[in-house]
Amino acid sequence: MSLFDIMASILVGINVTMKVTLYGMLYAVPFAFVFGVAQHFTNGIPRLIVTSIIEFWRSSPVIILIYGFYFSLPGLGINLSAMTVGAMVLGLNIGGYGSQAVRAALQALDPGQVEAGYALGFRRLRILYLIELPQALAAMTPTFINQFIQLVKGTSLVSLVTLADMTFLAKALSQIHYAPAKIYTALLIVYFLMCYPATIVGRMIERRVSRGREVSHDL
Amino acid sequence: MQSALPPIAVALSNVSKWYGKFQVLTDINLTVKRGEKIVICGPSGSGKSTMIRCINRLEGHQRGKIVVGDTELTNDLKKVDEVRRDVGMVFQHFNLFPHLTILQNCTLAPIWVRKMSRRDAEEVAMDYLQRVKIPEQAHKYPGQLSGGQQQRVAIARSLCMNPKIMLFDEPTSALDPEMVKEVLDTMVSLASDGMTMLCVTHEMGFAREVADRVIFMDAGQIVETNAPEAFFSTPQHPRSKLFLSQIL
Amino acid sequence: MTFDPEFALSILPRILSTITTTLFATIIGCMGAAALGFLWEIVRRSSKPGRYTMRFLIDFIRSTPLLVQIYFFYFVLPEYGLTLPGLVVGVLALSLYYSGYLAEVFKGGIDSIPAGQFEAAKALGLSRLQLIMFVIAPQMLRNVAAPMGNYFVSLLKATPYLAIIAVPEMLSVALEIASETFRYTEPMTVVGIIFLTLALCFSGLVKVIESRLRLSPKAG
Ligand SMILES: Nc1ncnc2c1ncn2[C@@H]1O[C@H](COP(=O)(O)OP(=O)(O)O)[C@@H](O)[C@H]1O
Ligand SMILES: [Mg+2]
Repeated sequence: MSLFDIMASILVGINVTMKVTLYGMLYAVPFAFVFGVAQHFTNGIPRLIVTSIIEFWRSSPVIILIYGFYFSLPGLGINLSAMTVGAMVLGLNIGGYGSQAVRAALQALDPGQVEAGYALGFRRLRILYLIELPQALAAMTPTFINQFIQLVKGTSLVSLVTLADMTFLAKALSQIHYAPAKIYTALLIVYFLMCYPATIVGRMIERRVSRGREVSHDL
Repeated sequence: MQSALPPIAVALSNVSKWYGKFQVLTDINLTVKRGEKIVICGPSGSGKSTMIRCINRLEGHQRGKIVVGDTELTNDLKKVDEVRRDVGMVFQHFNLFPHLTILQNCTLAPIWVRKMSRRDAEEVAMDYLQRVKIPEQAHKYPGQLSGGQQQRVAIARSLCMNPKIMLFDEPTSALDPEMVKEVLDTMVSLASDGMTMLCVTHEMGFAREVADRVIFMDAGQIVETNAPEAFFSTPQHPRSKLFLSQIL
Repeated sequence: MTFDPEFALSILPRILSTITTTLFATIIGCMGAAALGFLWEIVRRSSKPGRYTMRFLIDFIRSTPLLVQIYFFYFVLPEYGLTLPGLVVGVLALSLYYSGYLAEVFKGGIDSIPAGQFEAAKALGLSRLQLIMFVIAPQMLRNVAAPMGNYFVSLLKATPYLAIIAVPEMLSVALEIASETFRYTEPMTVVGIIFLTLALCFSGLVKVIESRLRLSPKAG
């Protein structure tokens, strides 16, 4: 088998990889905004609750969450497909990181912006989505792109719960043909080609956001 | 103690330098005798910093020849190291190492470059800190000192390497006015010990007191070389006149 | 079947007995990742070919999944006659993966050191190595303590990946118990809580260290 044939066989799984990514985004983006904003707005006990939920998804190892939810939910009478479990766990984990970017970007804004909004007679939520979020968006974009890459890479974990994504197919292939070097090289290349464009875009945007501080000391 | 024919400390002949297409230095010729004190002035952007930074090769020149002591500066890194060991430099913004104490700032290079023992290096450092009148700050960090004190430490740090030549790049222009004098006093006392000095500064009092020659630069060229008194009272070149009329 | 706290408590010691493997992999992995990341960053700044090679290496590491990198080393190295214990392969893969992220962190840390520091060190005659060791590295570490600590916590949370290459650490013991008893909820919950606790403790530690650094007089 040539490297090219191997890649073709692996790419059969790209639709699963992309589905998990897409469904994962459907969990990640709303979670990031809702919980990031909630953390920004709340104080005391409510904030503690919000923070705990974020920290649960953010600070638990994803691989354990995937195994845990996939294997133990049926025992509790909840039957979710491997796809749902994978997308939910990966998505909420990424969303947990995203929420911190949302909160940090909101907190970094000049408080005068909110005051100006009040002065113009806006209510708090209006101020949030008319004034604060549009300005904060630029600051959170680099993190979002990095987290998107983490999500794409994280989808490889669904191979552990029997979903036939690219990693799963590569592993199956290597059990038929003993050519691990070729097969795993092909797999690495495929993931690289998927994620690298996002890496480049992320770097460009990051450079734009932090413009004016571009220095490099050669050693 | 100077011999009858004093040797040359620094010699620049026909030195030119470009940043990309932009020519910063044009045919600089300057010979500094051992023990001589040169003050360099001129408008901002005229190439003063670039010129003295070429002398310890923080910047490379593209044309001409720079000889420091008896070493010519080329791309040969060993020669660059040799020159840097003998040339001290004091910067506008002090550039002390913030993570090291004052004493450690002063002993770092002697220990690692001159291979002195720690104890000897510390002894020398304390001597120099005494001379710049801040021995009691030896165990503080740079961030805890005033600007004037930091600059005096920077001078002491250079002196600990026992340099033959000292370069100063606007050492007082980042200081609050009340701290300028303490730094200038240190430099005057250094001058009276016979150190070879090249100072970029606009402090006329200092220039009058210690300079053997004042060099005026404009647009990358040495436009006028004169004795300090003559330079400040009767500048020869129209651009020197204009410059002096602006700073006075 | 519901959650049985008694069962959960009874398996706790067995799972905890391999916490040493987790901590070992974390500590060695962090040291390896920091060392490699620093090396990449120094090479990246040393020459033009170094810059392009390292940029590609770092981007490649960051653009491919850790799981696949682990498989790669675990299955491919033996093909070339290099059969290493799973723990060694795992720690190697973790080090390499996180070195890509730390290199970027170090880049930021070095870029924010003022140019005057480099100039002063050169003017004093320090060699490149001395400049890196005595002037750059200490100031860089101060600048990057927080982000570096966060990646260390990430690395800790990635150690259960070692279970998939048969390293006996906490997740693999939990899975083992699950397959023996056909009960998944308790072992997974126990191992999850242990990791969550570890991760939160280490994050807290990172925050404390960060604020200490910010308050110390050297920062001035
Ligand atoms: N690294 C650099 N790259 C490009 N141009 C530079 C650089 N450093 C200095 N210059 C330019 O060279 C000229 C001389 O600078 P400098 O020697 O610092 O002047 P001075 O010290 O007399 O104010 C200025 O026009 C400055 O903008
Ligand atoms: Mg200057």
